[in-house]
Amino acid sequence: MEFPTETPASLYGLELGIPLGDRRVLIADDSRFNRRTLARFLQWIGIVQVAFATNGQELLDQVESFDPDLLLIDANLPPIDGMALCRVLRGNPRWRDLPILMQSTRQTDQIRSLCFQAGATDLLAKPINPGECVARVRYHLERRSMVQELRAFRERVERDLRQARSMQLALVPDAEWLEAMASRNALRIEPVFQTSDEVGGDFWTTFEIDGGHVGVFVADLSGHGIASAINAFRLHTLLTRTPPDDLRDPARLLTQLNQRLADILTVGQFATAFYGVIDRHADSLRYAAAGAPNPLLGSRGGFRVLDASGMLLGAFADAEYENRSTPFHPGDTLFLYSDGLTEARDRDDAMLGEEGLADLIEQAVLTAPEHPFPWLMARFAERFGTGLYDDLTALWIARDATS
Amino acid sequence: MDFTVTDAHDSTEIRLHGRMTFSDHDTFRSVIAAFERPAGHRMVFDLSGLDFVDSSGLGMFIIARDTAQKKKLDFAMRGARDEVQRLITLAKLHKVFTIDA
Repeated sequence: MEFPTETPASLYGLELGIPLGDRRVLIADDSRFNRRTLARFLQWIGIVQVAFATNGQELLDQVESFDPDLLLIDANLPPIDGMALCRVLRGNPRWRDLPILMQSTRQTDQIRSLCFQAGATDLLAKPINPGECVARVRYHLERRSMVQELRAFRERVERDLRQARSMQLALVPDAEWLEAMASRNALRIEPVFQTSDEVGGDFWTTFEIDGGHVGVFVADLSGHGIASAINAFRLHTLLTRTPPDDLRDPARLLTQLNQRLADILTVGQFATAFYGVIDRHADSLRYAAAGAPNPLLGSRGGFRVLDASGMLLGAFADAEYENRSTPFHPGDTLFLYSDGLTEARDRDDAMLGEEGLADLIEQAVLTAPEHPFPWLMARFAERFGTGLYDDLTALWIARDATS
Repeated sequence: MDFTVTDAHDSTEIRLHGRMTFSDHDTFRSVIAAFERPAGHRMVFDLSGLDFVDSSGLGMFIIARDTAQKKKLDFAMRGARDEVQRLITLAKLHKVFTIDA
């Protein structure tokens, strides 16, 4: 059969489509006529980067050196056959996704099934149908480039998320600085801050205010993903710009933060927050809260729950906050945490909950009185695993018994 | 989460059912579409079928309230129980939302 040597304007009145000039196709056939014919068809759809193999060994060599985007292979390629070669190729992870179009003269259903089972992506009749050949080659090349684009996009997004996550981790106080600051103020501050696989909106910080006051701030920006993380960064910036005068009064701080956040957050976005000021000289904890998980305060009588109810931060511009106060003596403990702790789900889909947490803390101080917090977190990890769907913040703040 | 819409003469009741979380954004868009009602119409969320609500869910309540305000609709929520009730109390939502028993 004779085929035109020049690229036809169209095939059967159908457009030949966008030239695929940047794709590489490898043709493996021991017949010179077949190789030339196929190459000519490929030219019709703009494919000019073509390499050839006449037998199995040449095929394997060419695949390595030419790195084709698609392989056209004859089912009877010597020395074994096309199907066996196909299996060899698929055995190599590098060629697992390579589109392999197998040509065969034998078109029984059995033969066709065997070709597919050997790993062929698609089958072409022999003698060749030019229209079918170019249509299938185009389809598989386009599909392959779509998959490659998707994969590249996904890898880029994952890289960006990893970077956002490390930026989020960098927002919390540096470990060395924290230890020194705590020590200066006769405190022991043990933090756990874990960001989830999906970037989240947890945030916490602490700082010295003059005259024996230490402020502790824990917040959880609503939602998930990049948007929450961005809002956490915004909140951090607002805090760092707050003058010391406003840091001494928890209710005032939350009121101001609320107004600024209400301006910049979109409807439906908000944060829950707790801000407490430890006063060493007055042996007290003064605090205000915006719907944060209820903290636990431990003293000689055991642990009790502090009320952290309050209007969501940044949701309503005219929200008001109130100061509450509680004794905080040497030897006392303040436990702050985000809902990633109480709302974690175990294998039975059960949540830890506030009561579960209170029980766990009691057990911790009984079982491991010297180091209750690591014990607590170890039990938590045992039951809930370490893969997080939400950020997890937990702060164990203890006043030195002798201070 | 799924929901049902029941229309009466001057009020519409939307019953929310299941768990209301981050993954319900698209569902919630359909809920908000039901807010196409004449000014003065009363919209009610029945939360008795809701088992759980996360921060995204709370955000959706806020968006519903905002939508109602923009369209001059009455908006109330009722029937919250257990975890959902606890969160509504913790966030003092009764200060800005009409919360019926």
